[in-house]
Amino acid sequence: MSTYQAQVQATKDPIVEAYKSGIDVTLIRENLRRTPEERLLALQQLQSFAQELRKGGREMRHRRR
Amino acid sequence: MNNFELLLNALASSRVSFVIIGGVAATVHGSARLTSDLDVVYERSRENLGRLVEALTPLEPYLRGAPAGLPFQFDVETLRRGLNFTLTTTAGPLDLLGELSGVGDYRAVYEVSDDVSLFGASHRCINLDALIISKRAAGRAKDFEAVAELELIREEGLGDSQGDKP
Repeated sequence: MSTYQAQVQATKDPIVEAYKSGIDVTLIRENLRRTPEERLLALQQLQSFAQELRKGGREMRHRRR
Repeated sequence: MNNFELLLNALASSRVSFVIIGGVAATVHGSARLTSDLDVVYERSRENLGRLVEALTPLEPYLRGAPAGLPFQFDVETLRRGLNFTLTTTAGPLDLLGELSGVGDYRAVYEVSDDVSLFGASHRCINLDALIISKRAAGRAKDFEAVAELELIREEGLGDSQGDKP
């Protein structure tokens, strides 16, 4: 076992442990079916989607004024 | 928006010595979280700084968040005087780090990295254990959930980083 593996396994942070129960492992499994390159391309698509959502939100707030 | 292919191929075609870290490394290991920039640790020799300048100058690097019009010169001397640079480029945000919290400089990070094939080239990407250590060491609030996800990937033995496909 490497020093890094030992370090990771030796310490359990209660805050990190609390977060684990809320993580959707199915999303991770879905991602791991892809190649690393496909994962990056999916990330770029997600960034593009997030950018569109932010733009739509800005326009919606602007119309309300 | 990021164009990871453009950024990585620019660095690779100029033979820059660097290791992928941060959120993009997490994505390579299977993370489903959204990250907005490419973080790399780079080697600090004068030769490598020259290669960085050659690779990135066509992408118009500029200090992220700084007002327009500052006399920022992306050259070897600027890189020598600093260590960490948060940049905007025409291919998206790019963070150049001389050292990584919890791991060390380029040589130390290289030792805990593996080859990953992306967009037709081979790159070095920090391994899952060292990525967890670095995220823990950074100690930012946003890193707790990221660490939780990475530890789940590790605990479930999911982190092969190469995918199911041949």
